[in-house]
Amino acid sequence: MEALYCDHHDWLQGWLRRRLGNAADAADLAHDAFLRLLVTPRRFDGPPEARLYLRTMANGLCVDLWRRRQVEAAWLEALAAQPESFAPSSEQQAIVLQTLQDIDAMLQGISPKAARAFVLAVGCEMTDKEVAAELGVSTRMVRKYVAQAMLLCMQMEAHHNVRG
Amino acid sequence: MSAAELPLPSAPSADTRDAKHRAMQEAAKWFALLRSGEAVHTDRAAWEAWLAASEAHRAAWGCVEQVSRRFEPIQSSVDPRSTVEVLQTARHHALRRRTLLGLATCGGTGLLSWAVWRHTTLPAMAMAWAADHRTSVGEVREVSLSDGTRVWLGSASAFNEDYQPGLRRLRLVTGDIFIETAADARRGFVVDTPQGRLRALGTRFNVRLEDDGQTFVAVYEGAVEVRTATSGSTRVLRAREQTRFSGSGVEDPALAAPARESWTQGLLIAQDMPLAQVAAELARYRRGHLAVAPEVADLRVFGSFPLNDTDRALVMLSTVLPVQVRHTLPWWSSIEPKGKGAAPSP
Repeated sequence: MEALYCDHHDWLQGWLRRRLGNAADAADLAHDAFLRLLVTPRRFDGPPEARLYLRTMANGLCVDLWRRRQVEAAWLEALAAQPESFAPSSEQQAIVLQTLQDIDAMLQGISPKAARAFVLAVGCEMTDKEVAAELGVSTRMVRKYVAQAMLLCMQMEAHHNVRG
Repeated sequence: MSAAELPLPSAPSADTRDAKHRAMQEAAKWFALLRSGEAVHTDRAAWEAWLAASEAHRAAWGCVEQVSRRFEPIQSSVDPRSTVEVLQTARHHALRRRTLLGLATCGGTGLLSWAVWRHTTLPAMAMAWAADHRTSVGEVREVSLSDGTRVWLGSASAFNEDYQPGLRRLRLVTGDIFIETAADARRGFVVDTPQGRLRALGTRFNVRLEDDGQTFVAVYEGAVEVRTATSGSTRVLRAREQTRFSGSGVEDPALAAPARESWTQGLLIAQDMPLAQVAAELARYRRGHLAVAPEVADLRVFGSFPLNDTDRALVMLSTVLPVQVRHTLPWWSSIEPKGKGAAPSP
């Protein structure tokens, strides 16, 4: 692992910097990538394979980061629309933002419609009938979307639990 | 557990993996049904049987709860609806490939970090979905039970009905219920909350679970005996008395407020009630956030206000008090001193 780090860290960070145009983000993501390798170690047949793997993983991390930024921007927009004197505390803001980002990340694997049905149903505690009316689908479909999205999230949750 | 039943340290076999996946699928389906708003009593019984059937089922359900718990910060945000719209906006932005500049990094904590800041426990939430009787925000409903007892549910409330041969028992899961018991010489009538048991002695009374983890009770006819869950101390409340109790003790009773009875008629009756409290009562009946500026929070309010039309109630407040109500966003209203913040809108 140490050798892998020495051999490839600077290269990966450079690659990320070119991609993100930002040294601090690049350093963070490179660190993340190696942290993941540390948690689930794997063996490589040679430097090219290791770099291919690292690049693929780092690419995924870039997409994640980018999505988190999208959610953050939308959240800041929503907050800006509120009167300052009644805004939630900054701690609450941070918690809600983190929650939104995590949920967004968890729901990447399913259709936008299923994701939206799930978020409305669970986040807003709307009934199937209300969600169905909102999305213009049948209540049966909403039920299916919710079960599907829940299963996906459960699988991710279980996966994370195993990784600890 | 015998040694033979201990889990082996080896990797799970394909069979146990399949069984685990099946349990997760079933749990996800139960979740979808129980929270749909269409689950009936028999569904809940079937779910309980499923849950009792195996350890794998319980583990899978635990996973459902873990996922649901993640939504708590959204559910308890000022307005969940506009909070989840953020995700929609983000998706649109993503589609438009808008570049984002100048935003701070998010610390890279990832999916594992998870702050839960609201005290509502998920089991309570899950119980509310699965409860025998429940109402949504803004709804008041009257239910007649098999013995003729009448129960009114306030906004966003839920209770379970557990009538046994020797005892009539209700379990308040969340919110506010008002009970008018029917006489039954053979069976007593009790309401259980996490903080204790209320035994009705021929009566009309109101029970409410407060956000701070206490139970509120107000008695209008007859009497109610309170027995706290942890300390087991008891106290009898007479008609026109109200109090609050935790698991360990009962506060001294005060004169019962008419507001705690009038909501069953869809009315909030305020008699010398601080504006902040009036707003808190109204807020229970509206989606979204209702803020009160500190300068006017202590104004005394007299009058009756409709709970089923809180917008109208707010207009009424602004005619009798030196306040104005601003609807900054559809889900964000604030009560302010009159004439304040009259800046031109953007």
